[in-house]
Amino acid sequence: MSTQNHPDLPSGGPPEAVTPEAAGSAGSPRVGRVAGAVIAAGFVSFFTDISSEMVTAVLPLFLILQVGLTPLQYGVVDGLYQGVSVAVRLVGGYFADRWRRPKLVCLLGYGLSIGTKLALLRVGSASSTSLVVAVDRTGKGLRTAPRDAIIAASSARQGLGRAFGVHRAMDTAGAMIGPLLAFAILAEIPNSFGSVFVTSFWVAVVGLAVLVLFVPDLRLRATGGAVASLRGALGLVADRRVLALLLTAAPLAALTVSDGFVYLTLQQRLSVTNELFPLFAVGMSAAYLLLAVPAGRLADRVGRWRVFLAGHVLLLVGYLCLLLTSAGLLTAAVCLGMLGCYYACTDGVLAAAVAELLPDHLRGSGIALVQSAVAGGRLVSSVLFGLLWTVLGGQTPALVCFTVALALDLPLAWLLMSRTGRRPVFPVRPGEPGPTRPAAGDEREVDRVDT
Amino acid sequence: MSTPDPANPARHRVASPARLVAFAVVLVIAGGAATSYLVGQVGRRSAAATAAAAAERSRPHLDPAAVLAVPHVVFRNTEPGPSAGKLAMVPLADPGGPRAFGQVGCERVYATASAGFCLTADRGVVTRYYGVILNSRMQPVRRFPTAGGPSRARVSVDGRYAAATGFVAGHSYAAASFSTATEIYQTDTGRGLGNLETFRIIKDGRPYTNVDMNFWGVTFAADDRTFYATLATGGHTYLVRGDIGRRQVVTLRANAECPSLSPDGVHLVYKKRTGGPRMWRFQVLDLATEVETPLPEQRSVDDQAAWLDNSHVLYGVPGNGPGVAQPDIWESPISGGVPHLFIRHAESPSVVR
Repeated sequence: MSTQNHPDLPSGGPPEAVTPEAAGSAGSPRVGRVAGAVIAAGFVSFFTDISSEMVTAVLPLFLILQVGLTPLQYGVVDGLYQGVSVAVRLVGGYFADRWRRPKLVCLLGYGLSIGTKLALLRVGSASSTSLVVAVDRTGKGLRTAPRDAIIAASSARQGLGRAFGVHRAMDTAGAMIGPLLAFAILAEIPNSFGSVFVTSFWVAVVGLAVLVLFVPDLRLRATGGAVASLRGALGLVADRRVLALLLTAAPLAALTVSDGFVYLTLQQRLSVTNELFPLFAVGMSAAYLLLAVPAGRLADRVGRWRVFLAGHVLLLVGYLCLLLTSAGLLTAAVCLGMLGCYYACTDGVLAAAVAELLPDHLRGSGIALVQSAVAGGRLVSSVLFGLLWTVLGGQTPALVCFTVALALDLPLAWLLMSRTGRRPVFPVRPGEPGPTRPAAGDEREVDRVDT
Repeated sequence: MSTPDPANPARHRVASPARLVAFAVVLVIAGGAATSYLVGQVGRRSAAATAAAAAERSRPHLDPAAVLAVPHVVFRNTEPGPSAGKLAMVPLADPGGPRAFGQVGCERVYATASAGFCLTADRGVVTRYYGVILNSRMQPVRRFPTAGGPSRARVSVDGRYAAATGFVAGHSYAAASFSTATEIYQTDTGRGLGNLETFRIIKDGRPYTNVDMNFWGVTFAADDRTFYATLATGGHTYLVRGDIGRRQVVTLRANAECPSLSPDGVHLVYKKRTGGPRMWRFQVLDLATEVETPLPEQRSVDDQAAWLDNSHVLYGVPGNGPGVAQPDIWESPISGGVPHLFIRHAESPSVVR
């Protein structure tokens, strides 16, 4: 968001964003360097994603070869827990605010997931596998919003987009390395799933160590002594700008074809064999990884919702490319590139856009709310796409429907955001606490507790 | 958000020397523990492999040509040793006796008197799956890519068609949900006829389309165009009869998976779900009378049965040992009597007379 909304912020950026240890590349002089806490959170996600994607990549193989589950059973289990993750996310965000210690909730979430790596060594049935997967997803759901709250609380308002960009890039890098590491282990020690799980466990321990040692244990005390309550969290929806963001992001998510269907369409149009399937995800992640930081910086400069909507325009270009051009490797590259651009322009950028709008004491809840709305939208999208595919008798007509609907919704979203986007953030009303993020130099009521 | 305290800058240092040291300690412990576990696994496995190789050398073996000359069973060998995972054969007269080993490694294999079909996987960072057509001497003649992790393999009676079912790993490596892909191939060219999902599907007398559709477990009839298979859609499984020439399948009855047609074409044996996600029970269907009776085998078995003769079937049952499930082949009459162990440390059987 442009700095014109915050004339009280000095152009040099608030000093709290500048940590001498920040390992990030030198940022723009306007907002200083990326906060050390962001880099630390990035490393936590980097190691955690290596660890969890190692397991995710081999889990289907493991369940069939050693547990004797049928793949279809596992598909049902997996789908069920996607929903669990959405619900738990709200809980994580809320308690991060309620206890005012987001790191505590993060620790709980990462801790839960770590245990599951070793539990996998012992599973022997469909039910125990379900339980282990459920615990892992619960941990993931719990930690996401508090972690984003820490990133937001540690970064200068003008640098939020870049901060989230840096975090998402590191996260994606881990997600790319994980499966490679897992399959490298299985190639060296065939069928030794235990080796994969044990390695995954120790990588997760390293991630947890980064969290414990280097992520600051912020104790948030909001200005004016405001306390997070369930009512306050739900009341966020009443804020025009939060509402506008929700009303923009959720329908757009519902009109976005899930990656799986895009890959499937791509596969059928190019008639590539299934073994290249994983490479689609790798290509998409590579584009996401490269563009996350530039997109975040751009968002800081020109406005986050503009970049967020521009990401959807690029996605639309990807769909059109898929629909209109003759099948070829170039089509695949453009389509996957656009999908990567879309993630780079939307995932971290949306977190930054919402974090900016929230009062300190409700940051976790607010981020969780918007992320859940997007996740809910994606679930709707999957069901809708499957339904259209069935009714219209093919995925190309279904993709056409989604493309048209997305093209129609984007101007509406633009109108909505540009109308609300100019209003000041949480304007000071008589008798209420002032702007939630006072200018640098004010006495900030945040303690950093050495652990 | 925290404001640096000018009087005490150290309070805001994210990485104090003590923490860096603590982190280094964690790194060393984690790296050391993971490495020692991996090295231990490699060591244990190589010791086990050496022992297994010695054990295999000490067992008597048969000459493949001699076994091929008499009625025999073709299967996948799972005895530990250098030949684990390879195609193997035993004379029907002495199934528990010495084995003859083929050259190809298969995760699933099926053979008739005229041809064989073997599904293999080249596992690595990117796993590739192949179908290998074998000649009547069980030597590889053609190899082509197939979809997904090997699940079921079948060859038609005269060896003209081969069918493969693979588990297709979801739509990205991040999503663990799965589906199956089943395709029939022409053995002389290796050309596929397209995923069975592209065939015309008649369900309950009407054309049917659905995004949620999976086929598995093809079994061929003797006429070289009729086949049976499983269709899963909308949370139910159906027994279907297909016609290769017309590229069409028709649903016959609900709740039947991995059918297997008897050599005389009178019976089908298939798995039926009996409640509970892992509970199957083999059933025998008389195609003429449509009477379904349970197979004497009481255990829940996840395999596509193969026929020993017109009144006995063979199937793989996971052994009780620890580690990688090591299956054995069992035999059951289709009515009366009790199942018994047929070939130890073996799976994916087919009988060639």
